[in-house]
Amino acid sequence: MRPTPTGSFVDAENGFVRREAFTSDDVYRTELDQIFDRSWIYLGHESEIPAPGDYVTRRLGSAPVIVVRTDDGEVRALLNSCRHRGTKLCRGDAGRAANFVCPYHGWSYRNNGELVTTTFNDHFPENTDFSQFNLVPVPRLERRYGMIFGCWDSGVISLDEYLGDVSWYLKSFFDRTPGGMEILGPPHRWAVDSNWKVGALNFIGDSQHVATTHAGPITLDRVRAAKEGFSVAGQDSFQVVTDEGHGCTLTYLAPGMPAPNYETHNPELQQLYDEKLAPDQIGMLHNLRVCVGNVFPHLSFIETQADRGQKAVILRLWQPTSGKSMEVLSWVFAEKEASDEYKDNVLKKGFHNFGAAGVFEQDDMELWISATDASDNPIAAQFPYSFHTALPYMNTTVADYEWPGRAYRPSNTEVAQFEFMRHWDRQMQSNAAGQNGEPVNGR
Amino acid sequence: MDGERIREPVETDLYVEIQRFLADEAALLDRHAYREWFSFVTTDISYRITTHVVRPADEGTQHHEIIDENNELLGLRVEQLSDPKLTRAENPRSLYRRFVTNVRADHGDYPDSFFVATNLLVYKNRPSNRDVQIYAGERRDVLRRVDRTFHIASRVVRLDQTVLLGGALGTVF
Repeated sequence: MRPTPTGSFVDAENGFVRREAFTSDDVYRTELDQIFDRSWIYLGHESEIPAPGDYVTRRLGSAPVIVVRTDDGEVRALLNSCRHRGTKLCRGDAGRAANFVCPYHGWSYRNNGELVTTTFNDHFPENTDFSQFNLVPVPRLERRYGMIFGCWDSGVISLDEYLGDVSWYLKSFFDRTPGGMEILGPPHRWAVDSNWKVGALNFIGDSQHVATTHAGPITLDRVRAAKEGFSVAGQDSFQVVTDEGHGCTLTYLAPGMPAPNYETHNPELQQLYDEKLAPDQIGMLHNLRVCVGNVFPHLSFIETQADRGQKAVILRLWQPTSGKSMEVLSWVFAEKEASDEYKDNVLKKGFHNFGAAGVFEQDDMELWISATDASDNPIAAQFPYSFHTALPYMNTTVADYEWPGRAYRPSNTEVAQFEFMRHWDRQMQSNAAGQNGEPVNGR
Repeated sequence: MDGERIREPVETDLYVEIQRFLADEAALLDRHAYREWFSFVTTDISYRITTHVVRPADEGTQHHEIIDENNELLGLRVEQLSDPKLTRAENPRSLYRRFVTNVRADHGDYPDSFFVATNLLVYKNRPSNRDVQIYAGERRDVLRRVDRTFHIASRVVRLDQTVLLGGALGTVF
């Protein structure tokens, strides 16, 4: 049996990260306890449950939850497990219900989680307080920009405090018109035999993989651009890291570049941005070619390269299922005010590139599975992963960067990735029981 | 009998021809001859793949697209898969075996246009990752007669999956 990995996984001085961080089931169990049950976790978007009774089933940290719009129009999140003997109240992905009735013995609840009846109330001891059997509510639930976040730790800091500097960027992508963003259909979901952090690292700032992993779509895009007579060149850009462990990479179009099919945003929508966003946010979006980022721990976002004036905005969850496997959920968004034709094109291009069968995704997944398979053995575990191109740049923030967070140049180093790993490592240590962390919900 | 079937089934000779086309087409995909396969789709093709959203049984089945492509987008997909330098997902090649059965072929809305519904089973062995997946689904095609063969004008592949297993899909169905 292999020894349980303990202690720090990140060698900050020498640029190494131990491979067990990406393969070990012990690490996964610690992550559930120290990170996923204590952090603000993305549960879904308000536009997924527009009408009273609409619900989706999701996972919040280690536990299954129902995210529901109640008859009163409130958004609630409830542990998806009957208070009697634990059966799931909702066993599908989505639905609409006024009441959740347990299929096992018939306990039934209103869609806000209040117990209606156990069916056998008469047989309970006298003076039983039945309100103790309401469905377990997620103790902290907050929304920002239509995004629903939950946390099992009732003592967690506010969502705004947790998001910190990344909030300014999220608003620029997910709350930039008066109507806000809406999802264009249910999430794509796929299972991958790779660790969730591989996804988070890939999105927070892995510019180095693009030309090799994605030689296919990149080459074919260049061929098309040459044929249609424009350039797809970008210019040197920023990696941004925030104190809260979040980060993103901003890539800009080269100035003065003729890019008739790659104008950055749809002009009709840009007018609406002016109403909703601050001038510096509009400045950030101006000439933006691509932005990819990650909200700690595992919520990634991307605003894709424009294609004929359409830009897909995508949210992505890397939901861990073991030390070396995850389920990916991916949603495509568009501005509510956009035309149906615009939304349809965004959806089709979004799926083509970044969905469950995306031409970018299929190559990423193959290589992530490969890395996981090759790393999950005691021999490989002796040789930690390299993050060395972060080291010369860790203390070289861009002095005149005007937007929130710390910015680094060039954008193709591993600063944001290494900062993510260091933040993760600190969370794994600092929340450890017996140090300064209180157990979640008295556990 | 299938209550959905309200169209006129094709005659036996035509049925055999369609069956032969489906087998030939599957063989092209099995041996990764994507460009040759692509020469059998129409310029106005609609190519879609769906998975399921599981809802309570009384709310009905919800299919939703994971791919919805026209000739241009499908062509890009085909080019990527065809060139070993442009694909990681299919280099080294997966080992494929496609089974196309339960063929139901009906006359379509126009002369020389046919509705063809089939069951599909795809065995995919990814040797580089020691991974085997079996994708089952229903396929609904519109085929058009072109010269002595057929071209695919529309294809909807309803995969019997909720969470797509085996990573992101680089498979053409």
